[in-house]
Amino acid sequence: MKKLYLLMAALLVATIVPLAAQNRGAVRPAPKTSDGKPDFTGVYQGGSTKRGDWDFQVPSDEPGVPTAATQSIATSQARRDPVPFQPWAREKAQEFLNLRSINDPTSRCLPGPSPRSHSVSLFPIQFVQTPKQIVILYEYFNVFRVIPLDQKTHPDDLDPSFLGDSIGHWEGNTLVVDIVGFNDKGWVLSGGIFHSDALHITERYTRVDYDTINYEATIEDKKVLTQPFKTSTTMMLREGTRLREYVCPENNEDVLRLEKLLENPELFKRTPGQK
Amino acid sequence: MKPSLKFHASVVLLAACVLIIGMRLDAHHSFGAEYDANKPITLKGVITKIEWANPHCHIYLDIKEASGEVKNWKFEGYPPNVLARTGFKKDVTLKVGDTLTIFAWQARSGPGLAHAREVTLANGKKLYFGPPAGTGEGNPVLP
Repeated sequence: MKKLYLLMAALLVATIVPLAAQNRGAVRPAPKTSDGKPDFTGVYQGGSTKRGDWDFQVPSDEPGVPTAATQSIATSQARRDPVPFQPWAREKAQEFLNLRSINDPTSRCLPGPSPRSHSVSLFPIQFVQTPKQIVILYEYFNVFRVIPLDQKTHPDDLDPSFLGDSIGHWEGNTLVVDIVGFNDKGWVLSGGIFHSDALHITERYTRVDYDTINYEATIEDKKVLTQPFKTSTTMMLREGTRLREYVCPENNEDVLRLEKLLENPELFKRTPGQK
Repeated sequence: MKPSLKFHASVVLLAACVLIIGMRLDAHHSFGAEYDANKPITLKGVITKIEWANPHCHIYLDIKEASGEVKNWKFEGYPPNVLARTGFKKDVTLKVGDTLTIFAWQARSGPGLAHAREVTLANGKKLYFGPPAGTGEGNPVLP
């Protein structure tokens, strides 16, 4: 009898486990390149946690409210430590928020460092990989980063730039990227998280399974922060998605409109805590 | 080596410090500087013009007011790349002359300009033409 129970239990497990796996969508292993490195090739959606198709909101019957199944993308699925701003910088960042981020460089079509672009969920990111370099293409502002894997140091003739200079190396299955050489014109994350030209970012990319890249960035800035902080998100593979053009300055009426609004900020300014 | 109590406490503290932030959606510019989240409106009218351009597409509608007067409204929305993924096809989904219902938030400057969210096509199909209220503003208080 004991043997029968065991057999029944084994049959039950053999039936239920594959069914459960099927319902979740089977998790496939991360692919490797021919030289045995993790292969990041593909188009991904940052700031999402959903496997499979493009993640976007779909209207429900209630005006302006998306269906329950598509609400997860309503807020970016990014994590962030509290930002350890120096006191003067905290004051400046809070003022950006009081002005509802009207001074956001993106409203002037200016891009920023990669941690921000990685959590913009509506614009995909493409990885192009060769043994000696990885290129990341961003639909958000149509910018790119070339990350050499065979250079130990940054060039000595860097001009300050919006996306900085990246060099990468492998630590096991993780791609580690060091970025320096920034200007002080972008926001490293949305919501007033500005930076200086002393910004130094260390990124860690791990393709943990076929669908998922875990992304973590350590953000250091001696002129603005008291200590480093981390932000992280996931990038989900979107097979069949192609990058499209986003040439922001084409018809950017907002530059003139926002400057006009700034002539009378009391009309829209909020006090801290006010929605 | 057995981890000390102090080590455990610091790990717990570190974990507690990491916030899952409900970062408002990122976008091209601040919603709230120009539009009023407290003024949602639903308007029905006839499309007079469509601008399919970056960083925002625009729909212009002729809307008949209660007085019988017709006013032309401008509605701002997503850029073409995003609209392609929320279900729009240029020159197919929306055409000049079509009747359209739009749920939007009015500009602080008054009637005539609004931030579109949801459009309802003549056949009843609903699609998102723009992001939610508050997009691009950042959280009220710095975390």
